[in-house]
Amino acid sequence: MNLFQINFREAFRSLWGSRQRSLLALIGIVIGIGSVIGMVSIGTIVQQEAIRQFKDMGVDIITIRKSFSENRKAEFSLDIIMKITGEKRNILAVAPYLTSGTEYNQGRQKISMEKMGVTASFFDLNKLHVNQGRVVSDLDQHRYFCVVGAELADFLQKTGTTKILGGQITADGRAYTIIGVLNSVAEGGLRPYGMNRAMMIPLSTALRTFQNPEINTIMARIAPHIPIVQLKGDIEDFFKKRARGMQVEVTSAEELIERMKKQMQMFSLLLGSIGSIALIVGGIGVMNVMLISVSERRSEIGLRRALGAQQSDIQSQFLIESIILCLMGGLIGILLGIGVSYLFAFFSKWQFIMSYSSIALGFGVSTVVGVFCGFYPARTAARLDPIKALRS
Amino acid sequence: MNPPMLDIVDIRKSYRVGPTEVKVLKGINLTVAKGELLAIIGPSGSGKSTLMHMLGLLEKPDTGTYQIDGARVAYDDDRTLSTLRNRKIGFVFQQYHLLPKLTALENVGVPLIYRGIKEAEVRKRSLEYLTKVDMQGRANHRPNEMSGGQQQRVAIARALVGTPSMILADEPTGALDTKTGEEIMDLFHRLSRDEGITMVIITHNPGLAEQCGRYVKIIDGMIYSA
Repeated sequence: MNLFQINFREAFRSLWGSRQRSLLALIGIVIGIGSVIGMVSIGTIVQQEAIRQFKDMGVDIITIRKSFSENRKAEFSLDIIMKITGEKRNILAVAPYLTSGTEYNQGRQKISMEKMGVTASFFDLNKLHVNQGRVVSDLDQHRYFCVVGAELADFLQKTGTTKILGGQITADGRAYTIIGVLNSVAEGGLRPYGMNRAMMIPLSTALRTFQNPEINTIMARIAPHIPIVQLKGDIEDFFKKRARGMQVEVTSAEELIERMKKQMQMFSLLLGSIGSIALIVGGIGVMNVMLISVSERRSEIGLRRALGAQQSDIQSQFLIESIILCLMGGLIGILLGIGVSYLFAFFSKWQFIMSYSSIALGFGVSTVVGVFCGFYPARTAARLDPIKALRS
Repeated sequence: MNPPMLDIVDIRKSYRVGPTEVKVLKGINLTVAKGELLAIIGPSGSGKSTLMHMLGLLEKPDTGTYQIDGARVAYDDDRTLSTLRNRKIGFVFQQYHLLPKLTALENVGVPLIYRGIKEAEVRKRSLEYLTKVDMQGRANHRPNEMSGGQQQRVAIARALVGTPSMILADEPTGALDTKTGEEIMDLFHRLSRDEGITMVIITHNPGLAEQCGRYVKIIDGMIYSA
C-alpha cells in the first residue's frame, strides 16, 4: 500500500499545483452534490415535520366540507350534523366549526386573526390544551367568551394588555371575555389554518354574530382501522339523504399524508434533476481537468513507465487524483447542502435534522463521479506509448 | 567466461510511414560483457534512438532475440516488461527527466517505489546513492533549484539506486557544457571502474565515445565495430 500512499500524496501536490483550474472544475461538483444533499436533507426535515404534525393530531381524524361542485345554497345544519354519530357507528365524535379571517388592532399594531366558532369537542379533536384558564364548554352557549391561541396571546401581551385571562377582546363591536389561553401547536395536517392566531368562541355565539354564519367544516374522529373508502361513501350517502342531496368532500389524514408524499416526490424530482445535471456538468469539468493534466504530464508518464511503472500504476495514480478532486468538491457540496437545508428549516420554523445518510450519499456519489470521470483520462494516460510520451 | 550482461541477436525493426516500410534496424548483433563501458555512436537518423529504446525494453523488435543478464526477454505483457525495466535497467536521459515537483531525494527513490519498498528504506537507499554522486547536500532541493550538471547527477543516482544490470545513458552530456559534461563522464568512468557497473552510452560525439572502453558505430541500421 506504499504506492497508494505516495500516489495519494502526489495527487494532492498535483492538484495544489494547478489549484485555480482544480477549483473551477469543482464548482459543478459542489453544486451537484450540494443540491443532492440539500434535497435529501430537506426531504428528511419535511417528512419528520409531517410525521410530527400527524403524531400530534392522530391519523384518526377526517374533515367533511361542502363539495366544490355544490352550487345550490345548501348548508350544513347543526341538527343534521349532530345526528351523524348516532347513525354512523364508525364516527366517534364530530366538531363542526366556522371560521373567518380578520384583522385585530391594538394601538398601532395589528395581527391577522382567525375568528372561529367551535364546540367543546373541537379542542379534543385538535388536541388543543390550555396554558391558562379553560376551553369553551357546551354550557357556554351564546355567551361572549373566547379562548385565544398562543401567538395571539403573545401579541396582546406585547401590545400592552397586562391581564390576559379575564381580560377582553373586542371584535365586530362586541367584547369577548378571555377564558383560556392555549399552548402553541404545530400548524398543518388537518388542523384548521392559523390556530395559534385564533380567538375561539362558542359555536352558537358565532352562528349569531358572524356576517356569514355558515358552518364551513366538520371535523370528525373515526374508529381506528376501518376502510376509509367505505366510510367516505357512507358519509356522502348520509348528507345526500339528510340534507336534500347535498354533496360533500371528505378528506382523511391518510389521504393528506399521501398528498404530502406526492409533493415531496415532486420537490425531490426537481432538486434531483438539478443535482444530476450539475453533477454531469461537474463530471465533465473534472474529466476535462484530468485530460489536461494527463496531456501536461505526458513526459512524466513516459518517465515513470521507463522507471518501471506498470500501466495499472499510472492508471491508479490519475484515478486517485480524480477521486480526490471529486471528494473535495463533495465535501464542500455537503457543507453547502447542509447549510441550505439548515436555512430552509430555520425560515420555515421547522426542526432542523442532520441527515447522516445524506452525508454518506454525498461522499458515495462524489467517489462514483470521480471514478467515472477519471477512468477515461486515467486509461488514456496508462495506454500512452512510453517513447512518445517521453519525447513530448 | 562469464555470460554476457547483454546479448542481442539479429534484431530488426521497421516502421510503416504511409505506404512505404522504413527499415530502421536491419539485423543488429551486439554483446556487452559484465562491467563493460560501451559507447554506441552514430549520426542522427542512424537508428540510434530506436536501438536505445529496444535496449531499454520500451520497444518490441519485429524479429530477433534479446537476452539480459542471462535471461531471454519475453515480450509478453506490460507487467513483465515494466518489472524488467524496473529491475534490470537504469535510464539516464539527455534531458535528465527529473520530476519537477519532487525533491532530489524523492526523485532518486521513484524506481524503488514501483517495487513496493517501504518509504523509510527508500529514503535510506536514495540518500546512499545521492552520496555516491556527491549530491547529498542537495537532497531536499527541487530540480529547478539545481544546475544541469547537478540534475544529471541526481538522474544518475536514480538510475543506480535499484542496482540494475546495466545503465543505459542516452546522450547524457548532450545538454551540458563541455566542462560539466566531462565531469559527468568522469563520474561514469569512476562508477564503471569502482562499482563494476555495466554501462551503455549512446552518443553522437566521437570524442566522448573514444574515452569509453569500447565503442561501436551504428550506421543506417547496422552495427560496425570500431
